[in-house]
Amino acid sequence: MKPSPTEKRILDRMAPGVLCREGFLGTDARPLQEILDTDRSTLERLGCTHEQLAERLGRVCEAAMAACGAPVSVEGGRLMAEYREAMGQIPCPWADAARRPKGEVECTDPQTGRSLVYTPLAVHLIEAHGFYQGRGSRYRLEPADVAAVFRLDEQDE
Amino acid sequence: MSVLLPILLSSAAACGLTVILAAALLVVEKLLVNRGTCVVDVNDGERKLEVTGGRSVLTTLTDEGIFIPSACGGRGTCSYCKLEMTAGAGPLSPTEMPLLTAEEIERGLRISCQVKVRNDLAVTIPAELLSVREYRGVVERIRDLTGDIKELRIRLVEPEAIDFTAGQYIQLRAPAYGDNPDPVYRAYSISSPPSARDGIELIVRLVPGGICTTWIFTMLTEGDEVVFNGPYGEFRLSEAGGPMIWIAGGSGMAPFWSMVRHMKQTGHARPCTYFFGAVRERDLFFTDELKALARELPWFSYVPALSGPAESNGWTGETGLITEVVDRHVREAGDLEAYLCGSPGMIAAAAAVLHAKGIGEQRMYYDKFE
Repeated sequence: MKPSPTEKRILDRMAPGVLCREGFLGTDARPLQEILDTDRSTLERLGCTHEQLAERLGRVCEAAMAACGAPVSVEGGRLMAEYREAMGQIPCPWADAARRPKGEVECTDPQTGRSLVYTPLAVHLIEAHGFYQGRGSRYRLEPADVAAVFRLDEQDE
Repeated sequence: MSVLLPILLSSAAACGLTVILAAALLVVEKLLVNRGTCVVDVNDGERKLEVTGGRSVLTTLTDEGIFIPSACGGRGTCSYCKLEMTAGAGPLSPTEMPLLTAEEIERGLRISCQVKVRNDLAVTIPAELLSVREYRGVVERIRDLTGDIKELRIRLVEPEAIDFTAGQYIQLRAPAYGDNPDPVYRAYSISSPPSARDGIELIVRLVPGGICTTWIFTMLTEGDEVVFNGPYGEFRLSEAGGPMIWIAGGSGMAPFWSMVRHMKQTGHARPCTYFFGAVRERDLFFTDELKALARELPWFSYVPALSGPAESNGWTGETGLITEVVDRHVREAGDLEAYLCGSPGMIAAAAAVLHAKGIGEQRMYYDKFE
């Protein structure tokens, strides 16, 4: 289906070389709405929400940023996080006035070896737009992986 | 064949009509977009530019040799090119709205890359931007300072010299390459002292997925021609003569590396303690040079500190977050001035420590990575 003018504007800003070198969609050829719907369905199946995931990711991000690059233990000592700072800020492709630092956070579960690499902007994209970025994108977060790292998928077990 | 003929004829007619309509649209666009000659009044009559209408204010000013900071190449995403427009800018466009606060809109600020010159227009440009120029240079040296930080030395070609104040920055142009269809500009502090007028040095840290830094790290080589404009910025030493502390991390070294050499060259002896934070010892650079300066200059001391896990290579210097180190070293504020360069997180944490020691906001100077 042809994207709406608003969706086209968002897609234009997600393209490689507009806000960042590789863009936000990776190799994902699905329409934006399908990407959003699929990830929302995954979360519903796991029994969690965008807000829950964004809140946990955001808390880790803030703790890592406050440590100015030093590794820091988070989530009650269960996870380790490290922030790699970078110059500049990146705006949200939805053009909603949100701008976040360009650095990245690596959050690792030493027990499982599982790790998440994401940006401060990714937290906003999930919280405000339910967008986890396209498959093949450098900062794509699989909702199931995020839920697993934060043990949100075990809550009702 | 008799069945196909009408179909072919009607297809040909449809194609012909499409071509005619497209041509007509191009003519109309040309007529409507080219607004003829317009006058751009800069700073209430200080300069009057006669320009061809139809292009953005940012592009128009650039063509007239007035460089406004802009990182996104005029795509309306960075919002750095805000200017006050007092007349003729037309209504605010939907692309500008998210980039302006209510207060900025009230003050008449506009995103200059999103405003077209459609008629006579009046714009206010800060005086310091009127002296900004575009420079062409050749990359004379690229060297690794750490695993993800490089130093560039650019020798000027045209103009052959630059005047700037230690602490200022330039905007380096990364050309279109790969998937990046347009050139972009990114800001970097000048790390060389102002006395070296025939070129500039920059300290650049790799941004994962960054357009400009990826170009610098993977494509730019010695001997390549580069374009930049500047100088910009108000991060500079105050004229007060009291003691200072400098706090930086990573590529935040750049303005201070310029300042300390400038102070040495000009005999500007002013008590200064420089705190530089890194995670691991391999993230430190210019350590020998700064320690040598500290031995040579009685007014200068250098305090590098590591915040990462201890390594078994015998580091005997300061450890902990740079803010903790500052907290331990700075006893009382007195008339101390503080200069901070780094990530917003580091600056916020350092500012909190300094505030608690009684250093007022008016004696703190920031160069944030934003």
